Amino acid sequence: MIEKKRRNIIKRLQRTPKWKKEEFSEIEYEPTPVKDLLTEMKDISELIIDLAYSAVLFDNEEIAEEVKYLEVRMDKLNYDIRIMAMMAARTKEDAEQLAGILQVAQSAEKISNTAGDIVLILKDKNRPTLSRILSKADEKIFRIKVFSNSKACKQKIGNLKIETETGMRIIAIRRENIWIFNPQSDAILMANDWLIARGTDEGFEDLDKFLKGKLRVLE
Amino acid sequence: MKKKTSEDIVLEIKDKSELMVDLAYSSLLYDNKIIAKEVYDLEDLIDNLFGKLQKGSLEDVQKGKLTVNAALTLMRLAKAGEEIADAAREIADVELRDVELHPILKMSVQESDVVLTKTQVDSRSILCGKTLGELKLGSETGMMIIAMRHKNRWLYGPNKNTKIDRGDILFAKGPEDGEKHLINLAKAETDEI
Repeated sequence: MIEKKRRNIIKRLQRTPKWKKEEFSEIEYEPTPVKDLLTEMKDISELIIDLAYSAVLFDNEEIAEEVKYLEVRMDKLNYDIRIMAMMAARTKEDAEQLAGILQVAQSAEKISNTAGDIVLILKDKNRPTLSRILSKADEKIFRIKVFSNSKACKQKIGNLKIETETGMRIIAIRRENIWIFNPQSDAILMANDWLIARGTDEGFEDLDKFLKGKLRVLE
Repeated sequence: MKKKTSEDIVLEIKDKSELMVDLAYSSLLYDNKIIAKEVYDLEDLIDNLFGKLQKGSLEDVQKGKLTVNAALTLMRLAKAGEEIADAAREIADVELRDVELHPILKMSVQESDVVLTKTQVDSRSILCGKTLGELKLGSETGMMIIAMRHKNRWLYGPNKNTKIDRGDILFAKGPEDGEKHLINLAKAETDEI
């Protein structure tokens, strides 16, 4: 009986989404440099909007979950940066300069909250309108598959120079059931991966040909 | 000129608000008040567009051109853009204040995944006299031009018909390794796009 109960608890824990775990994790004081906190906040604020649009565009719950997770993460970072800034202030001049940092941090947090609102459109069931609008934007979001005959297979994103050669920024990779969000230059592409990337039509065409194996090198 | 539809307005809000965030961070990086002021002006423009959109989409519903749900989606999307624009203005506000910027601000912008860069176009550069549409810098170097300074004139969010002249100062964003390529092109160190 106890065994069964325990198994149920473990099962429930495994089902707990990542964002909930982050939300209920105890906030412990860890000294992190203000610069690192702010850099991460800026990076999240840029990534999260693209992810939010992708979640709606491709009607995808998992991307929506990641947006939620990043939102919670952002709250924590915003809290940490306040504490760190307060501890760093010694004089009125310090405080004035640090207030500027906190204002930028607050703005980054505001952007991430907006991403959460965009995801709510997912529940509107009005994607056709949205897809039509987003298909006319300056930079669009695309979904591209990596084919096994492409030279990209088993290569690092950084070595392929995808972003500098095509202007396409990969924001997520889906490999079977796993998602890799915001892949860095050392992430390796595999056959049958699905990429979600942001860029222009021209960039998409080049990258698509390359990933289909129709183009041997990107240049 | 054809009247802008509600969808066109939403699109304009989306594209402009994203440009504003880039401009706001650039203003911090280069301690540039002119760019920061532009962010302020753009925010006014967006408020204006947002008001127009709300009215316009309600009218469309009344005329039966738009369903209630579609109008709601448009408004929510526009609202998101408007909030992003607000956030950008708050970032620019830090630059416009009479307080010296904390060095960390500059460092954080520099160290992030997407870098911002500034370069002046040399008279021998291959970029001279060509339009952005011809050059396709975005898909060739990964760098997107977000603003330009032509003599005393500033241009924000240039489009594919914008021509680059010698002496222009380009502000761009993109990946770290794209930065060098763009600078080399502008400085006439390479002709290969």
